[in-house]
Amino acid sequence: MAEPILQTIDLVATYGDHVALERLNYRVRPGSRVALVGPNGAGKSTFLRLAAGLLEPSGGEVTIGGHPAGSIEARRLTSYLPDTPSMYDDLSLNEHLEYVARLHGETAWEDRAADLLDRLGLTERGGDPPGGFSKGMRQKASIALAFVRPFSLLLADEPFDGLDPRSREALDLLVAEAAGGGAAVILATHHLDIVERASRCLAIDEGEVVYDGPPDTPEVARLVGSR
Amino acid sequence: MARVGIQALREMRRARRRRAYEEIDWIDAVYRVYVIALFSALGTSFVSGLVGGRPVTPTELSGALDFGPAVGGLVVAGAIAAGLRSGGRGGPLVLLPADVSIVLLAPISRAVALRGIAIRQLRFSGFLGTVVGMIAGNLAAQRLPGAYLPWVISGGVAGLITGLAYTGSALVACGLRAGRRLAGLIAAGVLGWSIADLLGRTATSPATFAGRVAMLPMHGLGTPVLALILLGLPLAGLGFVGGTSLEAARRQAGLAAQLRFAVTMQDVRTVILLRRQLSAEGPRRRPWLRVSGPARRGPVWRRDWQGVLRWPAPRIVRVLVLGAAAGVAASAAWEGTPVLVALAGLALLVAALDAVEGLAQEDDHPTMSGLLPHGSGWLTLRHLAVPMIVVMGVAVVGVAVGAALAPAGVAGVLGIGLVAAIPATVGAVIGAALSVRGGAAINPLEVGPFGSVLAVARIVGPPLLALIGVVPLAVARIAVDAHQPALAAAAPVAVGAVLVSLAVGAAVLLREA
Repeated sequence: MAEPILQTIDLVATYGDHVALERLNYRVRPGSRVALVGPNGAGKSTFLRLAAGLLEPSGGEVTIGGHPAGSIEARRLTSYLPDTPSMYDDLSLNEHLEYVARLHGETAWEDRAADLLDRLGLTERGGDPPGGFSKGMRQKASIALAFVRPFSLLLADEPFDGLDPRSREALDLLVAEAAGGGAAVILATHHLDIVERASRCLAIDEGEVVYDGPPDTPEVARLVGSR
Repeated sequence: MARVGIQALREMRRARRRRAYEEIDWIDAVYRVYVIALFSALGTSFVSGLVGGRPVTPTELSGALDFGPAVGGLVVAGAIAAGLRSGGRGGPLVLLPADVSIVLLAPISRAVALRGIAIRQLRFSGFLGTVVGMIAGNLAAQRLPGAYLPWVISGGVAGLITGLAYTGSALVACGLRAGRRLAGLIAAGVLGWSIADLLGRTATSPATFAGRVAMLPMHGLGTPVLALILLGLPLAGLGFVGGTSLEAARRQAGLAAQLRFAVTMQDVRTVILLRRQLSAEGPRRRPWLRVSGPARRGPVWRRDWQGVLRWPAPRIVRVLVLGAAAGVAASAAWEGTPVLVALAGLALLVAALDAVEGLAQEDDHPTMSGLLPHGSGWLTLRHLAVPMIVVMGVAVVGVAVGAALAPAGVAGVLGIGLVAAIPATVGAVIGAALSVRGGAAINPLEVGPFGSVLAVARIVGPPLLALIGVVPLAVARIAVDAHQPALAAAAPVAVGAVLVSLAVGAAVLLREA
């Protein structure tokens, strides 16, 4: 069996007195598509930020490809799609794509960028700064930035929110292609249809794992529906 | 791969800089520089004229020689302590949110990615320190012996060292992840060392050496060279900057972007709220004391005390320090540098901005107050009572400090101080209430010349009221110089200042919405 691309050992995250994650032990193997579910404030975003290296654990560890999350090696392997896109006001979308790709060592990025813009319906807006985009357009631009660079692990925080049906389909296909190509994908979501397309479901509530198993069980439907 | 990434980072930063330059309207920029330079020159000349006062007496000169470097050192130590506290909270780097999510998550060295931003920050704080130091040197040259230029230059150099030490210490603390507690302890140690130098009339702390740099025209070159030790702080900061916590940088980035916008709109209330968030200065869960007993004086009175009694310790310390600073400034004004009386008024205004929290909260949550069976004037008036008492207490701290510093003894100054404290308190509280009510000074919905007038009134009004509040002190000093009874001269002016503040407050604050 392949080595896990993401592994957490006794992972703990606290904010002051509040425990956001309680001794989480979890492994994700390459090519798997994990749906991360749970009510608001359950610890989903905290888990993704810890894996991305944006937060540091209060206890335990997270490794990406055997490297501590946040290290240069881990950053090379991880693409993070945040719930709130952050982009420069003074760069066009095309310039963002070039910048992100080259920051990750990609020199031949143009074809990939053009393909992403086409699939997400952004080709006409490539020359515009994302500052003037609508919420959905900014989300699509953020998706393009996450996919324009190579990665072995994609961490996406509610990426389908705010997307029109065509863009949802496009993102779903991009995720499937990434997983098919051997990358692991962890998607935080509240949508049952997206959960059902995952290979596995991890449910967190009050910082603890309450379910870890197949995504198409009545238990999952209850957990997603009960939020 | 890393080389390609770093090259991309440099090229993109260059391109963004170039684009920013291209978007500058140079004629407009040159005009602005011209206007700022003109007003700065006029302001400096005006202030110099005000400072001119009388030359120092031999006793005062001896005091300046003995204590000047240590007092200057205390200012430098204060800057280092503030830097350490800022670094302990994750500052001082101000990043764009996109820098955090795009650049700092890329597989390139964070030290390389952050060093350019850190250098920019050092450059800015160094520049600001130099300007402030030169102004202080200019003020010193008016009264102390020595040529004008050496005072301005030595003040500028000391300011430069202070500015660099501030950001440098912040960079070291955040790069090494010192944390709030450790950074606070070191800050207390730095301040304690300088206080020990002040009390013992010694020069052992590097901060005191920096204070000596400011006094070069009187002390001459010697130990001040040791102040260069402090330049190790920015160098070390640049070395450690890669260790900056991403979590803190992300939090700072989001808040700093909002803060910049709030400053642009002159929105004092939002600036206060964001600054509190940046320094994680939330109310205490448990109040220092519980407000008990029946609410005889009404719900607003009780609610405001409940808020004050939940102030966190740093806010209490800050307000007390502002009171002490007002006392020091008033004392210096009394002893011959009249322009410093303005600083006393402004220090009380800043303290009052914290004291009017209950009133400001009504604007933050308008639905709650809008549903009350009373007009906004009724509510505003009741919200002013507690701030008046709090700021009066702060002013009394200032009076006590001023009296302790008075060479002629406590008794002579205490009466004047207490009479002057009343209008100063009223002016500061009403000024602060004007600042926090009504949102941003610059309101895009108020266009045309009338909108501009309103914006200027909102910006200038509060400090003007605070300054009117301290006029009685200046009048008392003039009376003393003219061998007139100070109290008799100050009292009617104090009454007038209170009436002016109340009239402005009634006209603006008590209007029914």
